[in-house]
Amino acid sequence: MYDVIVRGGLVVDGSGAPGYLGDVAVQDGKIVAVGQITGDALRFVEAEGRIVAPGFIDPHTHFDVQLLWDGAAKPALEHGITCVVPGNCSLSLAPLRAADRQQVIGMFQQIEEMPPAAFTEAFEWTWEDFAGYRAAIEKSLSINVAPLVGHSVIRLWVMGPHAQERAADAGEISAMQDMLRECLDAGAVGLSTSFVDVDENGRPVPSRFAQFEELDALSAVLGEYGRMLQIVPEFYAIDITIARIDQLAELSLKHNIPTTFSPVFDSTATPDNVARTVARVEEQFSRGARVWPQMQTRPIDISFSLLRPSLFFARLPRWVRILRQPLEQRIAALRDPETVAKMVADTGPDGGERMMGRLVVRGGDGAPVELTGRTLSDIAKDRGEVTALALINLSLEHGLDVALLSANAGHEVTDRIGPMLAHPLVHIGASDGGAHLASFSTYGDTGYLFSEFVRKSGALSLEQAVAKLTAETADIWGLKDRGRLEAGKAADIVIFDAATIGRGEERPAFDMPGNGMRYVRAATGIDTVLVNGQVAYAGGQYSEARAGVVCV
Amino acid sequence: MSAEAIIIGAQIVAGHDGSAELLVNLRHPNGAESPVVLDEATGLKLMKTCGAAHVDELTGQSWRRIVEGL
Repeated sequence: MYDVIVRGGLVVDGSGAPGYLGDVAVQDGKIVAVGQITGDALRFVEAEGRIVAPGFIDPHTHFDVQLLWDGAAKPALEHGITCVVPGNCSLSLAPLRAADRQQVIGMFQQIEEMPPAAFTEAFEWTWEDFAGYRAAIEKSLSINVAPLVGHSVIRLWVMGPHAQERAADAGEISAMQDMLRECLDAGAVGLSTSFVDVDENGRPVPSRFAQFEELDALSAVLGEYGRMLQIVPEFYAIDITIARIDQLAELSLKHNIPTTFSPVFDSTATPDNVARTVARVEEQFSRGARVWPQMQTRPIDISFSLLRPSLFFARLPRWVRILRQPLEQRIAALRDPETVAKMVADTGPDGGERMMGRLVVRGGDGAPVELTGRTLSDIAKDRGEVTALALINLSLEHGLDVALLSANAGHEVTDRIGPMLAHPLVHIGASDGGAHLASFSTYGDTGYLFSEFVRKSGALSLEQAVAKLTAETADIWGLKDRGRLEAGKAADIVIFDAATIGRGEERPAFDMPGNGMRYVRAATGIDTVLVNGQVAYAGGQYSEARAGVVCV
Repeated sequence: MSAEAIIIGAQIVAGHDGSAELLVNLRHPNGAESPVVLDEATGLKLMKTCGAAHVDELTGQSWRRIVEGL
């Protein structure tokens, strides 16, 4: 008697091999057989007409905080993700002394945009060390977690306030090595660092004060365990990014470790950047180094409001001048008919329709719910105003707190990005799940891979796309029990409809602690998700199963 | 030829964090050209430092103006 048999689906096993009709049998949280299976089971999951694949792995998230009250990392799990990697970009919630919590909260709020209540109401701080954090999240996981430990918090633990002031001395570096060993022993799957991020006051995070000797010493410890080094390079300048690729390659070769960097995204304004990045990665792989670029699937949207000056208006000098003013003067200017007439005239004879008509009103702010999701063009017609005037008046009516979205403003050309994602050395990731909560949704990238790059453009086959999100990711990260539908592996399984898997529309949700807002996307086409052999999500509902583990 | 890098063009691009950012193209004294992307705050400071009300007005400015905005 098996625990579960997933019956009659097209088995796409994660290897990249063609799918085949078959069954998957599960016992004690493991896959025990794949193929034509006879026998009985406590539960049958019918998968006829559906794809049966290994659960997806998301290698770049910031769910560190959310996992303390939401063990499913919602909505990640309903998108078919059965394992998340938090602790990226140099930040994790352990090791962290009680006295340093506020400092790290500030850094997390800068990255995640998590409401303050998340840190004061949603959980009890019971830990300082990594093992304690692990124990805190393990109580109620329904998704698997492969956590990184952050370089910035290790530095803070060892150096205190000096962590954000100077380079470490030999004794401090040695202490950081010891702490990293302790974290790896407690279940961390690697170390993350950042050359870019800042805290809430705009100060560089602690990891940015490290000299190369420090990173080299920490990489030596990673080498003892064969674990991952994740970095955020200076992605705003391609030449520096390439220099970082070379540096990662040296660390990879010297210490025999995998390394990965993100974000990598395409822009038609710098059309050669990804090609140069990948070419350098190819060179380094040919030397034996492992330097994995992580590329996101989703396009980048620009969002802004008139509450703050935005470069969105950088081609409208008068708008820039007015929006730069302090709030009170800005509102006064926007209420002045003569000024507004000039502003509208600046947007062209069509009243800004071409420039602004396609902007979409986002929810979650001062905008009325009934306007959420509508284009400025439509709203302007309803109001009997030209588009630019509608933008100004609508904003004024709601204290300027009306967020607008310019969709698909970057990383948006499917025919360019598809071949990049399909490249064998490009690691699909960089979702940032759990971060940027108040700016945009970081969920649904896996569904978008299938809808846009499998079904629409055909850049990847179904089997390739599944392999990218499962076995290849597990191999890159050394997650030995994950990523494949084969006997002996953990029974992390997603059952989905190849014809409809995708991502829903972005919408605001007020489900953060203290009724905090974030943007989310629902999944489409996902039927059932099993985590370690238990049904965690089915028929649009999360179950009570808590079978997630910290996996290594 | 200028003895230091100068801005030869700029345009608005989408940033990783969902904000509008400023892509500035620089030409170095040896003739090499390279782009650098400034985040929203730095881009706005650069425009202010240069007295530019339009991105096209950044052309010809010294790269040092970027540093002044950091």
